[in-house]
Amino acid sequence: MATTLDAINRFSVDKFTQKSRGRSRPQDSVSRVFGKNDFSYLALKPDHDNRPLWINPVKGRIYLESFSPLWAHAQDFLTTIAEPQSRPSFLHEYSLTTHSLYAAVSVGLDPNDIITVLDRLSKSPIPEEIRNFIQECTHSYGKVKLVLKHNRYFVESSDPGMLQRLLRDEIVGPLRIEGSEEITKERAPKMGGLVIPGTKNAAGVKQQPGQTPDQRPTRDEDGAAKEDDIFVTLREEDDDDDDADQVHSFEVPTSGVEAVQKRCLDLGFPVLEEYDFRNDEVNANLDIDLKPSAQIRSYQEKSLSKMFGNGRAKSGIIVLPCGAGKTLVGITAACTIKKGVVILCTSSMSVVQWRQQFLQWSNINPNDIAIFTSDHKEKFSRNTGIIVSTYSMVTQTRARSYDAQKMMDFLTSREWGLMILDEVHVVPASIFRKVTHSIATHSKLGLTATLLREDDKITDLNFLIGPKLYEANWMELAEQGHIAKVQCAEVWCPMTSEFYQEYLNETSRKRALLYIMNPRKFQACQYLINFHEKRGDKIIVFSDNVYALERYALKLGKAYIYGGTPQAERMRILENFQHNEQVNTVFLSKIGDTSLDLPEATCLIQISSHYGSRRQEAQRLGRILRAKRRNDEGFNAFFYSLVSKDTNEMYYSSRRQAFLVDQGYAFKVITHLAGIEQQPGLAYDTPAERRELLQEVMLQNETSAEIERIDGDLFGERTGGGGRGVGQKRGVKRTAGMLKDISGGQDMAYIEYNKSKNKELKGKGSQRNPFFKQLDRENEKRRKQALAMLKD
Amino acid sequence: MSASSLRSFEYLESLPGRDFKRLYQRPSTALAIFRRMLPHLAKTFVMAMLYITDPLTLSELELWVRPDSKRHVLHVIMPAKEYALSLLSRLHILNTSSVPGQGQVLSLTNDFATSLRLSLTGGGHHQSFGVPCDTPDRHKASLESLDAFARSQWEGILHYMVDTAGVGMQDGGEGPSHGVKKLLELGGLVQMKGSYATITQAGFSFLLQEVNAQVWTLLLFYLDSAEALNMDKVDVLHFLFMLGSLELGQDYSLATLTATQIQMLEDLRDFGIVYQRKPSSKRFYPTRLATTLTSDAGALRSVNAGFDNALRSGDGKGFIVIETNYRIYAYTSSPLQIAVLNLFAKLETRFPNMVSGRISRKSIRVAIHMGITSDQIISYLTTHAHPQMRKNVPILPPTVVDQIRLWQIEGERMKPTVGYLFKDFASGQEYEGICKYAEEVGVLVWKNDAKRMFFVTRVEQVKKFLENKAKSAAAGANGG
Amino acid sequence: MPKAVKGVLVECDESIRAIILKIDAVNHDFIIEDLDDRTLVVKETKLPELKRRLEEELRDTQDEPKDSGSERD
Repeated sequence: MATTLDAINRFSVDKFTQKSRGRSRPQDSVSRVFGKNDFSYLALKPDHDNRPLWINPVKGRIYLESFSPLWAHAQDFLTTIAEPQSRPSFLHEYSLTTHSLYAAVSVGLDPNDIITVLDRLSKSPIPEEIRNFIQECTHSYGKVKLVLKHNRYFVESSDPGMLQRLLRDEIVGPLRIEGSEEITKERAPKMGGLVIPGTKNAAGVKQQPGQTPDQRPTRDEDGAAKEDDIFVTLREEDDDDDDADQVHSFEVPTSGVEAVQKRCLDLGFPVLEEYDFRNDEVNANLDIDLKPSAQIRSYQEKSLSKMFGNGRAKSGIIVLPCGAGKTLVGITAACTIKKGVVILCTSSMSVVQWRQQFLQWSNINPNDIAIFTSDHKEKFSRNTGIIVSTYSMVTQTRARSYDAQKMMDFLTSREWGLMILDEVHVVPASIFRKVTHSIATHSKLGLTATLLREDDKITDLNFLIGPKLYEANWMELAEQGHIAKVQCAEVWCPMTSEFYQEYLNETSRKRALLYIMNPRKFQACQYLINFHEKRGDKIIVFSDNVYALERYALKLGKAYIYGGTPQAERMRILENFQHNEQVNTVFLSKIGDTSLDLPEATCLIQISSHYGSRRQEAQRLGRILRAKRRNDEGFNAFFYSLVSKDTNEMYYSSRRQAFLVDQGYAFKVITHLAGIEQQPGLAYDTPAERRELLQEVMLQNETSAEIERIDGDLFGERTGGGGRGVGQKRGVKRTAGMLKDISGGQDMAYIEYNKSKNKELKGKGSQRNPFFKQLDRENEKRRKQALAMLKD
Repeated sequence: MSASSLRSFEYLESLPGRDFKRLYQRPSTALAIFRRMLPHLAKTFVMAMLYITDPLTLSELELWVRPDSKRHVLHVIMPAKEYALSLLSRLHILNTSSVPGQGQVLSLTNDFATSLRLSLTGGGHHQSFGVPCDTPDRHKASLESLDAFARSQWEGILHYMVDTAGVGMQDGGEGPSHGVKKLLELGGLVQMKGSYATITQAGFSFLLQEVNAQVWTLLLFYLDSAEALNMDKVDVLHFLFMLGSLELGQDYSLATLTATQIQMLEDLRDFGIVYQRKPSSKRFYPTRLATTLTSDAGALRSVNAGFDNALRSGDGKGFIVIETNYRIYAYTSSPLQIAVLNLFAKLETRFPNMVSGRISRKSIRVAIHMGITSDQIISYLTTHAHPQMRKNVPILPPTVVDQIRLWQIEGERMKPTVGYLFKDFASGQEYEGICKYAEEVGVLVWKNDAKRMFFVTRVEQVKKFLENKAKSAAAGANGG
Repeated sequence: MPKAVKGVLVECDESIRAIILKIDAVNHDFIIEDLDDRTLVVKETKLPELKRRLEEELRDTQDEPKDSGSERD
């Protein structure tokens, strides 16, 4: 992949600005403030007020007025060609990069169109540097496609010159299938009669194979051009140019595909993969469609239209905030392609959820969708279907059990139409490479809430899966009510003197424990829980440190779940959380990040969150972003991050927030919780209690300060640092190991004590909510039924 | 009263009585003070008494007053009548005396009354309203050029204040004259760091004022320094008040000016208050800055709106957007406005009609170090908020406002008070007695009864107290 | 006779006091008297240095976050 990067890095905006430095520009007294970034020399168009954007010629930065009448068009356009950087209330910033242009071209945008539209929307004429940059970048991208059609592979391009060049190439040329016509010509693929299920077009229209032109309506009733069809409107205005609609191709054998891909990459023309699924006659069709009850929202539709824009399936990544319905997007894609699907998730729980969602939103026969996890190894019954599994399952290197091996053989021996990759940004490149090399699929759809990776390997992802197809605007979705409007706050908890003294003297591992276990943090947590419980909120408290999780939950008398909690108990606690009015707060460890089917919560309190992962914080927000009820202020959810004042924790906290802040979230700082000292039953309000807590904390060895490792959870493996393999020991054993170190006989009692609240929830007959009992019965029934079905 | 009137009033008040006598010998001065310094009720009183020869009694004057009328002055509410009368008294406009049988009687001071009558009805040879030139100017200055001149001089001064790196004007200008620079420093609006001037807290407040207020502020500094330069204060004031009565676009002769006033011309040119084609010119033009010196509030508003380009964009609308992620976007091309923003924000990119940047801990702390307060910054952002921002309530994102304040507080984690720690008291009684005394005289800032220690800001009184106690104890012991 | 010592009364948060104590612990040349959880008396001449050192210690807790996202400026 290094060569791709070279090819890509050859192009950066900077290169183009060197030429223009020769020009001398008028300076005034403040020019020096801006240095190279003084673009006051640019001419403003006379009607610049009506145009919504400025372009920085040196850095390729674009500034967009969100209050401009043209904003909607512009935003849509910019999300397609550039990376969003900052999207608060009034002015948004985007970055034009090689990656973003690659993505633009892959969804079918023509470079000249890009330049024209940019120019139209810009307050000043588009700078020469930008024009050149776009042209040079896109010159190489999207020129070559690899299309699977009628089960034959074609190297396709709309530029015959490009194909000639490839044919003359020493590696690609000889791969051309002898005997076929050198280059065939045909009309460019169009949306044609392809209708994406669930979308507005789908109503009443049956899907047809073939290429009868049948454009989607490009204008609304009142004649205004629809947002994403700015290019269609452009084309309508240009003369129809037959040549531009032609594509040229030559055929290569299946065995030569990889070589062609690699070679094109090396030459600097990465191929785009497209799957002409409507003309795939070899792979069996999957009988699946969306249920009528499935409502596709506008942004989901938009993202899918980028994937299927020209009637074929493009591989790539769709970015939607948590809680915005990524799963439904994946399901709809599957319903559009109607071929065999493999879905890879980060945990077994997610696997179960995906299957449930498929059954809920589509009419797929339950026998056609099967699960492959450590607990279940099933296949579908007919000749095609859907398999849902985890990344770990399909990439583990140690010897598999017999059943597991059979499943893997099953997966690797057939051709799949679509591979859906959930939470794609956590997948290490190495794991992904293994997946793609072992499982053959014609298209890949990556789904994620953020493209942020702390390790910045987004580059690899672009070329392993495909370019970003679509990215939603968080604030916009919140305004439209699709995700919750969240009030974010950082609560500053001063350290007590004793804790702070120790903090000043300690090394970094122990320091973390001290600032997490700060008694004033306990108090703040208690305060917020009381406050929100009174409001009727459902509260989740997060801690990625298990020791703290247990101590907090125990002290405040709440149930908690972590990696070591047995499955049945987890379910019990969550069911209570969801349905029992008495149970409104639950403490969760990192297990909650991915592996739990969390019901709706309206308040999230974070007491410990390690080392500033921006993705983590964004992810956690997603857990509560499903809430829809609005309160008076228009917020329907609350997020509190508790930090100990004057400690490193404050540093990490602001780093984590950076991403959310750029999405438009405002973090309040709460320096004091009114009336906290007067709280009845205030935890640790005597110096004696505090000293006792301090002593206990000081006795912990350094492993207590670590974050939890969750078995089979990709997140845990990645952010924990220190290469732990997939087959690690389960969490509960490690915890017991830690506690044993403190003292002898106490540990067992300690563990039991911890579980007290959890046990309470087991219910002592008379106390149980009758509704809950009923639920239990029904669950049991369902479980039995499911098992019975699987036994086919 | 507007802020600037208040300041000039305070200045006037501080003048000794004999200065007033001289001041009121010039009708233009009397008129100017009448127009600018007096609230309506006071004006009414003056007009009532202007043309009658006998004094009025207090009760006769009260006929003009609504019994419940009150006046807000500096957070103190007082009856309007009392306020007006006291004002007139302090300005030496009004004489009060007691006449048996009639109580208090009031009359206008002679000089003032005479001059005011002259200014109203004309006549006299005072020439205090300026003498227009009788010969036409071959190089007549247009209104536009006068405005442009005034604006560029004034902006030059403001720009000098915010140009913290001292790089200076690169567009050919040299900035304000040496005299003006000195004045700014003397007035505490800038402080010199080596050869560069950096703006102070007072300077930043100055920037936030309206132009007219700014002009008066500088003029008052000028008045203060006038005496040191052997300039007659009263002469200076006369000229200023005269300028306020001149007509824009009209050229005036130097013939009737005193030596002091001719000396002033140079300085007034530097301020942009008057224009002369060359220093040797026999005529001068007042600019808008001059003619509005003594205007009432209404006229000022329209002047400000038209003229005040320096600190407002175009038609006086706001132009700054600040986002919840601390990015700042300002729709401006004015180097001055940009320089002001640069004081507390890190500016990054500049387009023909917009600059963008960020506010950060670092950029705010730099401003704080200069003495600018978070409140001033917040006030500046609010005053100049872009119309889109104004749709919000509150206008600025609360998180940003809070954070700016927090960044200031970060630098103030210690609250230091210089003084003296008292300890080692022989007994609880001794401690209590002295501590109580310290509290009574207002120097106590901290105490701890259990530890028998306290802290005071000043030591002299307590020392004396201790000494006296010791003496009396000794005396008691001896005398016994 | 009771004693009067010239110095600077410093009022602060508990955590700041803890940091000041730590700074002083090296040579004991800053603090004249430690009064209570939130108050100390410090040598007047040492105040500027103390302020500087305090800011240094607190710098660890303060972040100057640059852009988030995939920016490569």
